[in-house]
Amino acid sequence: MKKGDIFIIAAVILAVVLSVIFGIGLLGEKGNTVIIKENNEVVYEGSITADKTITLSHNTVVIKKGEVYVRNADCKNQICVNHKPISKKGEVITCLPNKVLAEIR
Amino acid sequence: MAKKITLYAMLAAICLVCGYIESLLSLSFIAPGIKLGLSNSIALLLVAKGDFKGAFSVNITRILLSSLLFSTPFSLVFSLSGGIISLICVCLLYKTGKFSIIGISIAGGVIHNIVQLTVAYFLLGNAVLYYLPFLIISGGVSGAVIGFIARLVSSKTDKFLNI
Repeated sequence: MKKGDIFIIAAVILAVVLSVIFGIGLLGEKGNTVIIKENNEVVYEGSITADKTITLSHNTVVIKKGEVYVRNADCKNQICVNHKPISKKGEVITCLPNKVLAEIR
Repeated sequence: MAKKITLYAMLAAICLVCGYIESLLSLSFIAPGIKLGLSNSIALLLVAKGDFKGAFSVNITRILLSSLLFSTPFSLVFSLSGGIISLICVCLLYKTGKFSIIGISIAGGVIHNIVQLTVAYFLLGNAVLYYLPFLIISGGVSGAVIGFIARLVSSKTDKFLNI
């Protein structure tokens, strides 16, 4: 380890702290609205309490009992399907290969 | 010249194998897309030996081949942007001579993730910023691991790997 490394580690810690402070407003609070985007266009917007199944071109998004999750995706990595259901303000599930984003506000 | 091309080709092949091994141990339960980035240790090894050109050629070859073989053109945008910009920063930090290879690697890992998240921000909107703290931490931790591996390999191969 060299002296300069301390600056790098300090900068990383500072970046983490700043990003947490910046993001803290988004965390914790229960959300009201579900917004689903595909190719950066809003394809669905509605209350989180209204149970619904939304079928997109490559994914199926389910809103049930105040939680949102992705049931199906035709992509290889299945990251969005394995993601835990979301319910808090600011939480998102993304499916990068299909450019799908489910967000809670 | 032919010897160098062969060496780079072999290193790029090692990168692809690293990528495959990594796909077997998925870390994406922490936050989507989190990876160790084992193959970056090869580029870092070349940087540690002072061969910046080699590091860029191997890394770009690796990114193009792995997206061609294993993923979509869309994820190529992510890998390329993160890979190239973080490697530029790594080379610049190395040139200053003030940082150890592990420190450089930590910076590289964090920058890599920040660049990828920035690309995601432009493609998907501000909601992805929620992942920023997780991605900075994971970038730093995996950067430290990669830097450690690169230093180890670099010292072990000093005798026969002359670039």
